[in-house]
Amino acid sequence: MADTINRSGRKGFLVDTSKCIGCRSCQVACKQWNKLEADKTANMGSTENPRDLTPALYNRIRFIEKESSGQTVWQFLNQRCMHCGDAGCIKVCPSPGALYRTKEGSVVFNKEKCIACKYCVSACPFNIPRYDSNDKVAKCHLCYDRIAAGMSPACAKACPTQALQFGNRNDLIAKATAAKKKLYGVDDLLGLGVVYALEGPPEQYGLPAKPEIPTSIFLWKDVIKPLGILGFWGSIGAVLLHYVTVGPQRTEETEDKGGSHE
Amino acid sequence: MSNYIERFSTRQRVLHWIVTASFFTLVLSGVGLFSRLFNGYFNFFGGGQNAILIHKIAGPIFFLSSAYMYLDHRAEISSFDSNDMEWFRKAGGYLSREPHHFHIGRYNPGQKMFALFIAVATLVLGITGLFIWVPTAFPRWIVQISLMLHGLMFVGSIMFMVLHVYLATIGNPGTVQGMLYGDVRKDWARHHHPRWYRERTGGK
Repeated sequence: MADTINRSGRKGFLVDTSKCIGCRSCQVACKQWNKLEADKTANMGSTENPRDLTPALYNRIRFIEKESSGQTVWQFLNQRCMHCGDAGCIKVCPSPGALYRTKEGSVVFNKEKCIACKYCVSACPFNIPRYDSNDKVAKCHLCYDRIAAGMSPACAKACPTQALQFGNRNDLIAKATAAKKKLYGVDDLLGLGVVYALEGPPEQYGLPAKPEIPTSIFLWKDVIKPLGILGFWGSIGAVLLHYVTVGPQRTEETEDKGGSHE
Repeated sequence: MSNYIERFSTRQRVLHWIVTASFFTLVLSGVGLFSRLFNGYFNFFGGGQNAILIHKIAGPIFFLSSAYMYLDHRAEISSFDSNDMEWFRKAGGYLSREPHHFHIGRYNPGQKMFALFIAVATLVLGITGLFIWVPTAFPRWIVQISLMLHGLMFVGSIMFMVLHVYLATIGNPGTVQGMLYGDVRKDWARHHHPRWYRERTGGK
């Protein structure tokens, strides 16, 4: 069952990669507002730091280096939970309320209800959820506490170039479309809550060209589950039907003695 | 002369009920993980996290006891002969009330298929269960496939279980005694497993 979202009132990000200067204010602001501890990192010979999301890093800037007419060019991508319209994590989460959708359309979590099964890690099309040292889920929750109070998320507030814009999703998309931006995530997975204006193919940014819920997760939840429930009750129905139609296989003596054990 | 003949030894019976107990513990603790629809079953264990813990304890017990049960019966369940084919053709006589006579040994081919399925399911559930146990230690695609196969084998097992319980109890009166007290009536043995009966009694 795909969770339904209120599309007209849905809020989200528009990330304009052409405006991003890689300052990582968003990373810092997120850590500050969400009181996330610093991660120990290592010098990997790149300006990209840290190299991956962690339980204490809900969003980060991915640095993409490429050659363009003899010059090294940097591209930056803000990586975070995409707040998918059809969220794989919510689809598989067995604990109601551990991962859920707010009325603004964000996918948020409640650590107290997380039962540490880690199914969301496998079901995410973007490999976003991380688990903290207490075995609880951690990812961007789109500052749902700030949004509920009418503020914008910490990252968007801190962004000095408006590369990260937060607001009504439809309005942001309309504006970007009018500006002839190449958008990513408008319709994928019932629309991502984070829509990107990219300057190249998605793969260049480490994004899947056609994001979708992993096939085996889809088969589990949308095929095996309904057919399995049907099959279980079907087999109970079948054996009961067999009992009252053909009936049990009795040996001669059972008929005589009623099957009693001497 | 006794009217009864031994069908399962004490060791085999105890083993069977260990498998049974761990199987149903796994079903009850796991069904809430299979789908949110069955979240209520977590209450048997005091919440999802405890259910997972119980699932991880019952899992290895089931795996080991079920694997041992397979090894114990391996020879009797993995060969099919022409009598078995005849049994398959007539669906074991289960589709009509007509009297039928199959030259069946200790196990009929339906039982063999059930045992083989459970053996495969045990292996698949055990291996995939290991990946699901520590998903962050393995590539995501392995865990994704494991989650699907674990669910698929669960569904298959539970359906086979309905059939197994029915055929071993009310569907074939006199059968369950073999797994409870260990012995079955001789007429039951002559009717259901004539070849086994002859081998055990040496003729009549």
